[in-house]
Amino acid sequence: MKALDLKNICFSYGKSDFIHGMTMTVSEGDFIGLIGVNGSGKSTMLKLAAGMFKPHSGHINLRGRPIGCYKGKERARLISYLPQTLSFNIPLRVKEFIAMGLYPHDLPPRLSLKDALETAGLYGKANSYMTELSGGERRRAYIAMTLLQGASILLMDEPLANLDIKYQIELIKLLGTLRDEKGITVIMALHDINMMFQFDVLHVINGGQLVASGAPSEIVTGELLEKTFDIDIKTFREMYSFAPLNQIDRRGKDFFL
Amino acid sequence: MNKKGIVALVFLSILIFTLSVFIGPRLIVPFKLDETAKEIIISIRLPRIIVSILVGAALGSTGAILQGILRNPLADPYILGLSSGAALTAALGLLFNNMFLGLFTLPAFAFLGAIAAGIAVGTLGQKKGNLLPERLLLAGVGLGFLFSAVLMLAMILSTDEGLRRATLWLFGDLSMADWPLIPYGLAFILLGFGLSLWRAKGLNALMLGDEVAYSLGFSPSKERWILFIASGLMTAASVSLGGVVGFIGLLIPHIIRSFVGSDNRVLIPMSALAGGALLCAADTIGRTVAAPMELPSGIITAIIGAPYFLYLLKKKDLLGAS
Repeated sequence: MKALDLKNICFSYGKSDFIHGMTMTVSEGDFIGLIGVNGSGKSTMLKLAAGMFKPHSGHINLRGRPIGCYKGKERARLISYLPQTLSFNIPLRVKEFIAMGLYPHDLPPRLSLKDALETAGLYGKANSYMTELSGGERRRAYIAMTLLQGASILLMDEPLANLDIKYQIELIKLLGTLRDEKGITVIMALHDINMMFQFDVLHVINGGQLVASGAPSEIVTGELLEKTFDIDIKTFREMYSFAPLNQIDRRGKDFFL
Repeated sequence: MNKKGIVALVFLSILIFTLSVFIGPRLIVPFKLDETAKEIIISIRLPRIIVSILVGAALGSTGAILQGILRNPLADPYILGLSSGAALTAALGLLFNNMFLGLFTLPAFAFLGAIAAGIAVGTLGQKKGNLLPERLLLAGVGLGFLFSAVLMLAMILSTDEGLRRATLWLFGDLSMADWPLIPYGLAFILLGFGLSLWRAKGLNALMLGDEVAYSLGFSPSKERWILFIASGLMTAASVSLGGVVGFIGLLIPHIIRSFVGSDNRVLIPMSALAGGALLCAADTIGRTVAAPMELPSGIITAIIGAPYFLYLLKKKDLLGAS
């Protein structure tokens, strides 16, 4: 059974379609990156997959059942969604906030509040107020809450945004460990070209359509990047010819044409 | 959460409720009850104390709910125009001199006006069935101005004495409190209070934004509707019982938040208790200090509460890290 199955999804915010007949299947344990420019439809796809929006046509199944058939709590124990824009004026202490991840649960989950705080590197700030955290700390608090929620399918919209590189790496590593040990499934929208190679599968979205999918080493080419991000790859190479790219260079030779 | 604070508040409230039975224009000694004293307590003081507690509790908890669903620290029970709607219908009802319901006339008109205003605000504040906080707030403020303007116009054009009485009553006068009204007020306030406690977790989730609330298994739209209806019922009932009493609905939730935090499962009941205690104390003072004249309790709640609120504002960051 597929973790998530999106078939022929069409969706619009206004009159004209924004998502044009997209199909995406997600197996248990997949580690998927969604790539595309601003406004290409990454966030919308994640919200559709979370069941937050209803598609105009097509259907979305969560573990073989239409996502609309789940009750709120039941769904929240299977799938969680972390938005790109986070509320900042939350008048709660960090530990109170993170503990809200337990709301869908009647029984204590697999991860303790202490673990979640430690994972997010916020143990020392448990009693601070959310309003006192920096942007990156706040994002980590949201991630800790999502982890405490304990859903096995995580939809994350740009979770790496405004995180220090240390925490970007740690988050990716942590999600990888959770995937290996607990079989969680991750779908993450991202911008950072350097991080693309951390995923098993990349879906490249452009203009509300899936333009490529597959293992990063197979599908990522200079041509694809030029088309997807509307950039000139030569200028890009000149501007970014420093450390992170060396690694990419080693991973995929066809990256630079 | 501050357990000592909660215990202290509960004790203080019980003390206030008890003292208010014996303090008044005539001081009653608890151990020497004669017939007159019993009569005063049962037919005058008790109904009034119960009404003040009900009204104060409704205002305190509604303030906490509305500050949550509107995501606005300035929200109070009257911000959505329900009280203006109540004032208008009560006044118009009196203008046509329809006292056909006797004692119930003013409260019934006020209640129906508040509910009608609530339905209008809810209709204007939604889009495709979703209540939108900003839209709801603007619809409420807009309608409130309209209702007040029509009421003013009616007052200018009319020379009716009843209208003046109605207007005065609507500015926080508990002297009409009487037993027959209490069951109705109690029923609506308990219903609203129960609904809001039932959905307090949902209100907590709404603080994190709709998307995160959804991810945690809540339907933000459903939660907001239920809480909006709960606050509408409590506001309408409180206006029809005791008119418009300022300060409590706006500032009590902030004061309580600074002691118990923002978890609505604690904040809502504690704001209700503190609101009830403050209005009860204010009303006791109001009917005692200048007897036989009565001072409106709204003035006294503000005189006691505002300086304390300003002190807290200076001492703690009330709106952010409280």
